[in-house]
Amino acid sequence: MRSAWLMFAISPLLLGQSVSFNRDIRPIMADTCFRCHGPDAGTRMANLRLDSREAATKPNRRGQIPIVPGDPDKSLIIERIFHTSEARVMPPPYAHKELSTAQKETIRRWVAEGAKYEGHWAYEPIRKPSGASIDELVSKRLAREGLEISASADKRTLVRRVSLDLTGLPPSPEDVRAFLDDKSPQAYEKLVDRLLRSPAYAEKMAIHWLDAVRYADSAGFHGDNIFPAWPYRDYVLNSFRDNKPFDQFSREQLAGDLLPNATEEQKIASAFNRLNRVSAEGGLQPKEYLAKYGADRVRTVSTVWMGSTLGCAECHDHKFDPFLAKDFYAMKAFFADIKETGLVPDRGPKAWGSKLLLATPEQRQQLAALENKLAEAKARIEKAAPEPAPALVESIQKAYAAGAYAWQIQRPLSAKSANGATLTIYNEEEVDMMPYYGGVIRGFRAKGNGLVVASGPVPDRDTYTVTFRPAAGTWKSLGLEIVQDETLPANAVARGGDRLMLSEVELMAGQKPLRFTMATSNIADQSYQQPPAAVIDGDPKTNWGPITYGENKNLFLALRLREPLVTDGKTTLRVTLRHDGDIRKGTLGRFRLALNAVEYAWPEGTDVSTDKKRPGGLPEDVLRLAKLPSADWKPEDRKAFTRFLAWSDPKLTPLHSELAQAEQAYFGLDASIPRSLYTEATTPTETRILPRGNFLDDSGAVVEPAIPEVFGKLPTQGRATRLDLANWIVSPQNPLTPRVFVNRIWRQFFGTGLSRALDDLGSQGEVPTNPELMDWLAAEFASDWDMRRLVRNIVLSRTYQQSSQASPEALAKDPDNRLLSRQTRLRVDAEIVHDIALAASGLLAPRFGGAPVKPYQPDGYLTTLNFPKRDYSHSQGPDLYARALYTQWQRTFLHPSLMTFDAPSREECTVNRTTSNTPLQALVLLNDPIYVEAARVFAQNMLAAPVRTLRERIDWAFERALARPATEAEQSILTELYQSNLKRFTQEPLAAQQLLTVGEAPLPAKVRPAELAAATTVTRAILNLHETITRN
Amino acid sequence: MLELNLKRRAFLERSIAGFGLAALSNLWGKTIGAVNPLHHAPKAKRVIFLYQAGGPSHLETFDPKPKLAEMHGKPMPESFTKGQQIAQLQGRPLICYGPQHGFQKFGQSGADICEHFPHIGSVADDICIVRSMWTEQINHDPAHTIMNTGSIITGRPSMGSWVVYGLGVENQDLPGFVVLMSSGKGGQNQPVAGRQWSAGILPSKFQGVKFNSVGDPVLYVNNPPGLSSDMQKDTIRAVNRLNQLQHQSLADPEIQTRIAQYEMAFRMQSSVPDLVDMSKEPAHVLEAYGAKPGDGSYASNCLLARRLAERGVRFIQLYHRDWDHHGGVKDGIVSKAQEVDKATAALIRDLKQRGLLEDTLVVWGGEFGRTPMSQGGNGRDHHIKGFSYFLAGGGIRGGQVYGATDELGYAAVEKPVSVHDFHATMLHLLGINHLRMTVKHQGLDVRLTGISGEVVKGILA
Repeated sequence: MRSAWLMFAISPLLLGQSVSFNRDIRPIMADTCFRCHGPDAGTRMANLRLDSREAATKPNRRGQIPIVPGDPDKSLIIERIFHTSEARVMPPPYAHKELSTAQKETIRRWVAEGAKYEGHWAYEPIRKPSGASIDELVSKRLAREGLEISASADKRTLVRRVSLDLTGLPPSPEDVRAFLDDKSPQAYEKLVDRLLRSPAYAEKMAIHWLDAVRYADSAGFHGDNIFPAWPYRDYVLNSFRDNKPFDQFSREQLAGDLLPNATEEQKIASAFNRLNRVSAEGGLQPKEYLAKYGADRVRTVSTVWMGSTLGCAECHDHKFDPFLAKDFYAMKAFFADIKETGLVPDRGPKAWGSKLLLATPEQRQQLAALENKLAEAKARIEKAAPEPAPALVESIQKAYAAGAYAWQIQRPLSAKSANGATLTIYNEEEVDMMPYYGGVIRGFRAKGNGLVVASGPVPDRDTYTVTFRPAAGTWKSLGLEIVQDETLPANAVARGGDRLMLSEVELMAGQKPLRFTMATSNIADQSYQQPPAAVIDGDPKTNWGPITYGENKNLFLALRLREPLVTDGKTTLRVTLRHDGDIRKGTLGRFRLALNAVEYAWPEGTDVSTDKKRPGGLPEDVLRLAKLPSADWKPEDRKAFTRFLAWSDPKLTPLHSELAQAEQAYFGLDASIPRSLYTEATTPTETRILPRGNFLDDSGAVVEPAIPEVFGKLPTQGRATRLDLANWIVSPQNPLTPRVFVNRIWRQFFGTGLSRALDDLGSQGEVPTNPELMDWLAAEFASDWDMRRLVRNIVLSRTYQQSSQASPEALAKDPDNRLLSRQTRLRVDAEIVHDIALAASGLLAPRFGGAPVKPYQPDGYLTTLNFPKRDYSHSQGPDLYARALYTQWQRTFLHPSLMTFDAPSREECTVNRTTSNTPLQALVLLNDPIYVEAARVFAQNMLAAPVRTLRERIDWAFERALARPATEAEQSILTELYQSNLKRFTQEPLAAQQLLTVGEAPLPAKVRPAELAAATTVTRAILNLHETITRN
Repeated sequence: MLELNLKRRAFLERSIAGFGLAALSNLWGKTIGAVNPLHHAPKAKRVIFLYQAGGPSHLETFDPKPKLAEMHGKPMPESFTKGQQIAQLQGRPLICYGPQHGFQKFGQSGADICEHFPHIGSVADDICIVRSMWTEQINHDPAHTIMNTGSIITGRPSMGSWVVYGLGVENQDLPGFVVLMSSGKGGQNQPVAGRQWSAGILPSKFQGVKFNSVGDPVLYVNNPPGLSSDMQKDTIRAVNRLNQLQHQSLADPEIQTRIAQYEMAFRMQSSVPDLVDMSKEPAHVLEAYGAKPGDGSYASNCLLARRLAERGVRFIQLYHRDWDHHGGVKDGIVSKAQEVDKATAALIRDLKQRGLLEDTLVVWGGEFGRTPMSQGGNGRDHHIKGFSYFLAGGGIRGGQVYGATDELGYAAVEKPVSVHDFHATMLHLLGINHLRMTVKHQGLDVRLTGISGEVVKGILA
């Protein structure tokens, strides 16, 4: 493709035009000369520099002059490039860069014409051709090749094209009809204006911006856990919907937090600076990761706003563009004020560093009130806590030594699942165990000792019922030991989902229900937002949801009984464990039940390393005091013991109930309020040039924030800030940003930028195919930064509306359509592939913004994720049918269907998605359940539509997917498919039933399975058409 | 390269018109790769990379260090460690930790190999142990990234993608770059991100396809419930006939590609289940590997690797995780040896018996090694200055040990082999000059070996 383009670049020569440095010479030299004779002083050879006229026209040490303007024969470079000796010719053979004869001649002619250098086009001021328009400038360029703009596409093609381009959704049949019927000259313009005002426009535009700013919902490194970035995504959506001017849009993202009286929205916008990947890996070197985070920001900002590969200057001066390593670090220094750590915690209240609580004023008030209540409840307990009087301590120590605290593990008589899982009891029987202990996982076989193991099908929700018959005694607490095991996919405790979700625990003695007053877990921090009190509150909507990994012990839950339970050795107890939570499959994998006869028994269970029984019953900080005379205690020991006494004293139970309620109320509200990453500014850290990018090397010079030297200096007094950077980026002094942005937008509507490399407008990029058009668009855009007007201008142009059919002449002269002699057929983006199927079928659930959703995803796709081990549970209800841009963007394992259609992982800034065409794409459209379900619902709606014949039905479906009726030939192929399948499904009703079970969308009340299944194969074929996923 | 593509498209156009669909060749990539003709005669046609993820301790596998045993418990001499990168041992005292297992001499060559790897020892004369590997990255993810892509910049193609890009594919019904993954029972299963087999800046058709041991072996390769293979075929035929109608009016090569991809998808739907169905493997073969079909173990994956190699898959990368022995390295090595020793040797022997070893390059190794210093009294930290690999098969001179670390096993001092050297050598064996296989990106001629890398001649046959 590149070579095809060079052909055009050279053609002016043949037409007798003079050689232009930027158009003709720079591309050659950038490819072949600048690596050794360019801006990088570190690798410059023979002290020769060809990218600067001043340097290239000076004599070298031997008195030879590389370039003598006007006199090629005296110019050393001409002698060398035409040299026939392998030892003398340039570039040298070992560089594997050969100049063609035409290229050599071009260089000779340029020298002969005076070796006129030009500044690199992208860094030159924008020169707006006056009075021009897109069409005029395109026509002018085409005319040079004897071509002209093609005729407009037909109206059906046009309405589908512009709908997909502006909203990412196919037009409804009503939209198509209205457009066809509107014969006024303004019909198209009216259509465009309607589409530009729809929320779907914002959704479509956001997709491309989110790629560029590397927006995702997960941290990207190590455990790749989910972080709260989506309010930033909604900021982007709102900005496109409200047509926020691009200068403001830019300022808010780079420095929203620094704006005077920054609003909540502006602070959310500043999350842009926090979207880089972060790690919570225990062994990481903070310096190394801080260097990574900073470098990522430089790469992102320079790509998104400057179309520059400044990232290349992390280790050395740029090879081809005028950027020095110093420029890289000076850019990085702008971001040195961001409050952050190298190791970014990924769970618990401190997770992810600076987070903004997005509470309404009422919520804030409520939270404050609840926080007060919580503090009061804690204070009341503290006040009422008994003193660890020596006599009391001694009695506890004695009782403990005598084993009174030990949890009595129970041997179940029966264990049943309500929803189809298999529960197996291991009492004396041996069972394989795989607990995590002391930093490793131990595999061994041991007697089950009352262990219940769930296996078989994994239902979304389940209720376990376990019976057992305890020895005679008086019991004060029920214990639930949750036995961790590496074979369990979620946190090594639950059978699926991303954590355990336990809604209720109930206990019956015979027919008598027993009530609990307190629920305590031995690992409290990990469930702070979903505390254990949820399992005894009688509310199935609340859940205990601990997120655990790396703990060296089993989770244990102690439930204190309201009344002591007296058993006579014949009493059968029944425990019911309910899993009714929102997260599917978060059901218990392995557990034991236990009873305890004292109030004071702390929830600690068996020793996981050997699975041998250990007494448990005291918290770890008290355990060592059990044998230590209280006279020898330190003050912190007394405190720990006092806390334990306060927890265990039955007299304080009502206070604990109050505390638990206060906690549940507080954290329940707290958990329902979204958070957003944002940028919190702090005192800037020192930024040094890292020699060769080596973070261990502190020998480099300290740098202050600055824009790359080639663009001059910021007029700031004192240390420049991110806001100064943002202001410069959108100032008239910076010619790059408007060009970069219009180039990217251009690609959205034509498939290729005016300059092909969207991420590199530098010397290694491509000179625009139509520089005047690039500048005209850039100047227009920079005049008001109105993104919607820019888009409107483009789609209203005749250039955009052209047919995509190429004439033989156009194909010959403009094979890749770089000169825009026609439109280009484009496979739609990954998200749009999905959205078209859902929209056409009627399955799409519209929304605007909101928390990420989780579509169906193959089981086991996340098995290589760890810290914690987790499984996936898909969303329910409308969330399953949201537009794909709302998909939870898991960086290390992006949803496979999106990935297959080339959606980027967004681990890094991406401005140029590729478009592939692979067999895996066929497998997705054929077999991913969402597409099978869409076909089924499409068929349901087709059969319910007010049309009668099969022919009319096929047209009905075609209109929705393709905005046109089917042709005769198409009708006959699909009729044949329908008839043959109808026959088969009639013969095999079970097959039809099975096909119709795919997906959670309801079936209509009355269904003829064979007919619906056969109709589903028809709609499925339509959803698989190349045309369906192509915008023409 | 792109020009070639255009010509090829034009060719396809003609063939469609002339001979109908049957003339379409495979479109996984190209049966002919970007390096055509090859730069020199190849010694190997495919690669099986047995990737031991987590960082196996060289000191308890392939690099005996009696001196370290002597120094056990003593401070590590500062001359070794000063100014070097350290991961979790930062700021801790650095104490020598002697090898935890004995070594034995194996084969005619008498190579010293840890006694817990007797099966690998039994093929010692077929393998070349490299004791002088070193890398630049000390944390798992970046270390995997450089080992796979030769760079720590995200977006560089994985070596499997490079190889398929360069050589094309042999089998039209299977992807050219297949990834298999197994976990160990030791609980050190560090995550491995999907980007490790990404095609990066190369077209995405070159990306690795991960096979799964749970669910569909390749994502979405199974028909929806209720649809038989015949019914699926009917639908695909209808789709392709409809697409063909479009093509007749538009002459768009992308439509033609789409048609071919649906045919390919359908073929995969039968070839993949056939590939992973090990029910016809004789009992003695299963026994030799220690494989239980369907268990997703390293052993089963080794057997699957042979089946992939037989079918001409170009680059087969097995990850076995769980080598991250910060603690309990002694038991950890025994546990890993139980998981990988027998199957690794069985694979080499099986390939040899089938005549496949001579043109298959087998590589065994991880992203880095482990410190001669102890961590937590019974483990070892990440270590990048020296570690071991072994290679076997196509073009490798077996029965030799190449390079060495210093007497404490800290740094590769004799004939050090960098990641780039390793890549250069691998490409060399495949008939590719690593300097000459490049792709333009952001103005750079990107190559797998970055800006360095020398073919390690000493290990070649």
